[in-house]
Amino acid sequence: MKAPPELTARDEARINVLVEHFLANKPKFVSLLEQLNSSLSNDATLTGLVHSIKSRVKDPGHLKEKLERKMKGAKKRKESFDVTVENFFERFNDLAGLRILHLHTRQFRSIHECLMRIFEEDKYDLVEGPIARTWDDESRKFFKEIGIDTKDSPSMYTSVHYVIAPNKKSRITCEVQVRTLAEELWGEVDHTINYPDESPSLPCREQIKVLARATSSCTRLVDSIFRSHEDYERQKRSARAASAEPQKARRGRSRKPPKPTSPVNH
Amino acid sequence: MPAASRDPAIRIAVFNHKGGVGKTTLTVNLAYAMASIGKKVLLVDSDPQCNLTSYLIEESVVDDLLDKSDQGSGRTVWSAVKPVVEASGDLQEIEPFQLSEQNLLLLPGDIRLSEFEAELSQFWIDCLARRQRGFRGTMALSTLVNQVCEKTKVDFVFYDSGPNIGALNRVILLDCDYFIVPAACDVFSIRALKTLGHTVVNWAQDWKIVRDLAPDGIYLMPGVPDLLGYIPQRFKVYAGAITAAQSGYISRIEKHVGSDLIGPLKAFNPKLVSGPTSHLKLGMIKDFGVLVAPSQEEGVSIALSHAGTYQQREEARHAFLAIAKKIVARLEGK
Repeated sequence: MKAPPELTARDEARINVLVEHFLANKPKFVSLLEQLNSSLSNDATLTGLVHSIKSRVKDPGHLKEKLERKMKGAKKRKESFDVTVENFFERFNDLAGLRILHLHTRQFRSIHECLMRIFEEDKYDLVEGPIARTWDDESRKFFKEIGIDTKDSPSMYTSVHYVIAPNKKSRITCEVQVRTLAEELWGEVDHTINYPDESPSLPCREQIKVLARATSSCTRLVDSIFRSHEDYERQKRSARAASAEPQKARRGRSRKPPKPTSPVNH
Repeated sequence: MPAASRDPAIRIAVFNHKGGVGKTTLTVNLAYAMASIGKKVLLVDSDPQCNLTSYLIEESVVDDLLDKSDQGSGRTVWSAVKPVVEASGDLQEIEPFQLSEQNLLLLPGDIRLSEFEAELSQFWIDCLARRQRGFRGTMALSTLVNQVCEKTKVDFVFYDSGPNIGALNRVILLDCDYFIVPAACDVFSIRALKTLGHTVVNWAQDWKIVRDLAPDGIYLMPGVPDLLGYIPQRFKVYAGAITAAQSGYISRIEKHVGSDLIGPLKAFNPKLVSGPTSHLKLGMIKDFGVLVAPSQEEGVSIALSHAGTYQQREEARHAFLAIAKKIVARLEGK
């Protein structure tokens, strides 16, 4: 195998200029995240739906590595690396990132509604998305049904992405991701083992692919548990309501048990 | 309704957080000098100590103003911003005071501006958090000046500031287009220049973040206070010449303005010192000593007062006029 192309001192200098530009603007990314975090965390409807919210500004060391990888990749493909200080923040939307974790799939519809409302109320500009990255047919169907664009994910990464900006003239943006806790487990394991470079161990790579199926099933199981739980609660309520009805009204009527709703996730 | 756009009147803050350097005396005399060459000037007393207001308005009138400032008919800066501070409504429109010189108007200060100042600290935090309430409160004074300028068509606005680096002065500095630093000839004034430079840079830096991250369609203070110049003040003159001890201080002021003020400002943003550095010394104002108190009593500039001799008053008039002309030439020559 041919060794990957090396970066020249000039390439390194170009990357350093970009990293310096990011560092000079880092306080702005930090503030943007704080502002968004406070908007989201102060919304009672949203906090009732989510498990937790994480946020981070990109680590400058990781950014440097990412730029080096991109530049090497461009060289390998004999393409020009055209990231400049001017277009840097428009090209890289994950310099500030916020992740919303929740338990089961159906919560996403309400979370999405909340997010769109908050973006509107707090005058954030939706630059991109929402777009759902998924590899699971059933999950793809769910997102399509609620009007969310989907994108295939050969890496088996799953998450819904939004990119927002504080205003129309701003170049700096923040990426918002929404995923379930089970998807987060896969994401964390994959990130640790396969990032920045894919693991050289075939068994590790294989097991992570199996893990994606396991965590996908796990999300699916949690969906089903919540569906069953809701059905049970509904039945209990209607049984209680029926027993509270006056005897007269019930007489002569055959009592039908409440119809269970489908346990299928959609 | 908050004004959506900024009035073109040029806003100048006379600022030094060091007390006793002669800010108010400079503001009054400079404003009178500007008025004497046909410029319409609005003075804004943004100091809770209200020295400027007490200087220019008769004591009984000031007492009456302060007594009534909390009511709907109040006419001080506090009366205007009170509804915003108390979150009970929009800015209350107030009419500026017409001073004896027809080109001079005053927005009177108020002791209760200290309450505004306390609230401004919270408004600032809310601005950093990108909250609507924060923008409204932080922009209240600037919006008030917009409203008044629009109606009165003034050419220049002078902000007089209190001797501190508090939230009110932060708003004044971020709202002004230019600022002038009067510096007294003593060791404390020289030391203060360092804090001054850092403070203005910090404020401008924070405000740039707030501005860049603010939602579209909100009126925001510019936050680019451009150093118009500095004025060594209150030095002693003996037999027509500056005493040796005092001239030492003047050269130290010049040196420290360069290293502690111009240096950090330019390093952050060259627009904070847009003029040629060789022209930043706007003039020198000696200690007019016994002339100041009577002019304060009379509520006019030294030149128009009955203090001292005619020759002394003329000397004062020329000193301030030269500075006023320099400022007008620089700002209107643009």
